[in-house]
Amino acid sequence: MPQRTSLAQRTLIAGGVMCLAAMLTPAVGASAAEPWWTPLGLRGVAIDAVSAAGKTVLVRTGSGTTMLSDDGGMTYAPVSGNPPIRPPAILQSGADAWAIDASGRVLHAKGSGALTLDPASPQLGASAHLIAAPAAFPGIVVAVAVDGVVWRRGQDGDWQRALLLLPAGFPHGVPRITGAAAFTQPLSGSVYLGTDGYSVLSSTDGGDDWIRAGPGLPDSVLALTTDSTTHAVYAGTSDGLWVHHLRALPAPPAYHDAALVWRWVGIGLVSLLSALAGAALLLLALPRLRPA
Amino acid sequence: MIAPRDLRAAAWWPAALTLLLTTLALGGSLLVPLAFSDPNGVDPYVVRLSATSLVMLAAAYASRRLLGGRPVLLAIAAVTASFTLFSAAPQILFDLFKTAGTAQILWASLAQGAVTVGIAVAAVRLLPAELRPALRLARFGWPALIVSVAGVALLVLAGLALPAGLLGRDGIQPVAIARDMPWLGPACLLQAFAQEAQFRGMLMGGLERVMGRGWANLAQAGFFGLTHLAVNYQGPVGPFVPVTIAVGFALGWIAQRTRSLWPAVIIHAAGDIGITLAVLPGLYGF
Repeated sequence: MPQRTSLAQRTLIAGGVMCLAAMLTPAVGASAAEPWWTPLGLRGVAIDAVSAAGKTVLVRTGSGTTMLSDDGGMTYAPVSGNPPIRPPAILQSGADAWAIDASGRVLHAKGSGALTLDPASPQLGASAHLIAAPAAFPGIVVAVAVDGVVWRRGQDGDWQRALLLLPAGFPHGVPRITGAAAFTQPLSGSVYLGTDGYSVLSSTDGGDDWIRAGPGLPDSVLALTTDSTTHAVYAGTSDGLWVHHLRALPAPPAYHDAALVWRWVGIGLVSLLSALAGAALLLLALPRLRPA
Repeated sequence: MIAPRDLRAAAWWPAALTLLLTTLALGGSLLVPLAFSDPNGVDPYVVRLSATSLVMLAAAYASRRLLGGRPVLLAIAAVTASFTLFSAAPQILFDLFKTAGTAQILWASLAQGAVTVGIAVAAVRLLPAELRPALRLARFGWPALIVSVAGVALLVLAGLALPAGLLGRDGIQPVAIARDMPWLGPACLLQAFAQEAQFRGMLMGGLERVMGRGWANLAQAGFFGLTHLAVNYQGPVGPFVPVTIAVGFALGWIAQRTRSLWPAVIIHAAGDIGITLAVLPGLYGF
């Protein structure tokens, strides 16, 4: 008569099989994707303003020096006369032109028409100047008021408060919004906000929903711009100039056929063995109950 | 030093050991597949957690020796099965009705609550009186109300005082809130009720039958924290677990002191609503 294995032996065998299965099954290699943000240069230097077009990148450092790079941001040389970098007074995005007037209202022009007051535009405040309009979504505009409220204009012309930043935590206050940018060619509908504390925030639906989009980037972003020719977003930070190249949002990998089936088989086996091992150990460790 | 024989004879031993071994089994079924699968691609991880806990519950009902572990296993089955249904419901609703949106979160939360109530009723009906968990649902007096208000205020203050980077609490989105909150507000309330009934009701209430209140609270808080490994399986989990253990312990303490589950439900719901209002998701979802 064959000798029966004890419960403890069976538990040990089950545990061993489980560990062996885990070791023998090929592991999924971690993909080394390009970082979302990559340092471009001037590490350790605060960058207060940035402007880019193709290989030409112009930056203004925190110490007040304007520097030019003609190799895409790899090397820099001071600009003679040290001129400040000012954003263009009129934002041309696709067929639309947008601007903020001296009183803080938003102006709009279509095609080659003259700028006129956008009827429902809010009062952003006299020194408001941050405005972005993705050419991929004509009519969508995001503008920042001097009190830090982020407004968004829908394609129907209606303006609404879209984002209110919260304090960074005791004892810090609400981070300042330092930049607003979007692609002025129809490459992407994303709008980016640079903040001095929350890095970069981004919206892909015209300002209704926002995500934290600055993994790897310093928290202190001081300037932001896009360049449609290189499909790049540049961030001037407290620690140099960084770049993000336009790409799809990360998506989960898709497995097909046998790879998927074997993963599911393995997962099911591990679950079953874990449960049976747990129950078996309980049976071993708990005393028999006396009959009532 | 406690002799093994004395340990096995202790009233708390079956419940404590069941909690420990079930936690290990759930941990194994959650984490071992990471060696050959990945969190994002194919992983129906909540299904395997449910399967593990249900197999163990079935074993507990198959053997009278495991009687002392049944309250714990019922509570854990409520946690895993209801969370599985909650996670799967949006996809099921999409397959059935071809609609997507935040409304489905509400229906999923309703399903989570219904499964929890069903298992709680089963626990009360099926377990012998001496093992039946104290759910603390019948009482809500002035002390409970005061604690609820104070707890919510403290939660808001702590949420604002803690570094935003730690919490992802960067801003609020008025347009999205006006669009989503009519669905997500009640969903948060239902989820809070379900989770409090599971952890502070069934689990802590069951453990209190066989061990001191402090130990019961500590045990449920530890398990509550560890379950967040599953909630945050696809994202960074490390910093979240100690925080949720502390929160779970505080909510358990409140339930014990006020002899009511409702303050914990209200504070938990306020926390979930706060997260919905103020935490901006990250690029990778968390």
